[in-house]
Amino acid sequence: MPTTPSAQGSGNQNTATSQQIVNNFRELIKDPKSLDEAVNYMYQTLLDDAVAGIFIETHHLRKTGNLSALDGVAEDSTYRICEMPNLDIFGISTAKKPMDCTCPNCDRLVAAARFAPHLEKCMGMGRISSRIASRRLATKEGSSAALLHSGGNAGGTDDEDDVDWSSDKRKKKSSQSSRNNGSKKNNGKTF
Amino acid sequence: MDQYTVLSGDRSKIKDLLCNRLTECGWRDEVRLLCRTILLEKGTGNSFTVEQLITEVTPKARTLVPDAVKKELLMKIRTILTENESEIEDAEEP
Repeated sequence: MPTTPSAQGSGNQNTATSQQIVNNFRELIKDPKSLDEAVNYMYQTLLDDAVAGIFIETHHLRKTGNLSALDGVAEDSTYRICEMPNLDIFGISTAKKPMDCTCPNCDRLVAAARFAPHLEKCMGMGRISSRIASRRLATKEGSSAALLHSGGNAGGTDDEDDVDWSSDKRKKKSSQSSRNNGSKKNNGKTF
Repeated sequence: MDQYTVLSGDRSKIKDLLCNRLTECGWRDEVRLLCRTILLEKGTGNSFTVEQLITEVTPKARTLVPDAVKKELLMKIRTILTENESEIEDAEEP
């Protein structure tokens, strides 16, 4: 195999070497046997390069820790989106919940959604119920002197309370509508 | 073999393209799997030498290439080489 010409060629200018390379090539190809050799050799080198590339890729992945990451994490069955008709995404049914709370004040079973407003009214913390309470206090002071003489205070006051409750509501509603008079500033209250 | 220098002209680029295109047809994935498994088997100690492993993998990879692909590749290489030859001859004649 003529190795010496190319070695000499590298000492000369570039064009000379390429010419020599081309010449060598021509010579090689004309001979069918060496052509086959050349073809096979080419094929081999290409293949080797490809394999090397693939290997380097996997090697890098391994070094950066991404190798197993490519396969992904198995989908957790608990987190899967639920698509049944009557259930929401987490698989919880949308029917009314049977939770009832006992009111600490009046010891009644109240639905969970209605619990807060009920407490408001019951404990006297809401807007309306505080007005009722204050009005009752006002009227009570007037009527307590009269009531002291009549017996059965507890029973009497209770009945009157009950009566006052409903009647006050009606009074309040009519008086409220007359008070507001279409002006909604300050929510009908004066400070 | 002197064919190194011979083919260092532009031909190698074309051949690379061809080769890569053809190997995308699944051989690559097979070889990748192979590499991965070998690495996993050998390598929690971070895979010894890169070259060692490559030299191990290459012969197996060679056998893995499907025959059709291999033949196609060889044919293409041959035709390109002969093109080269005829080009040079045409350049020579005038």
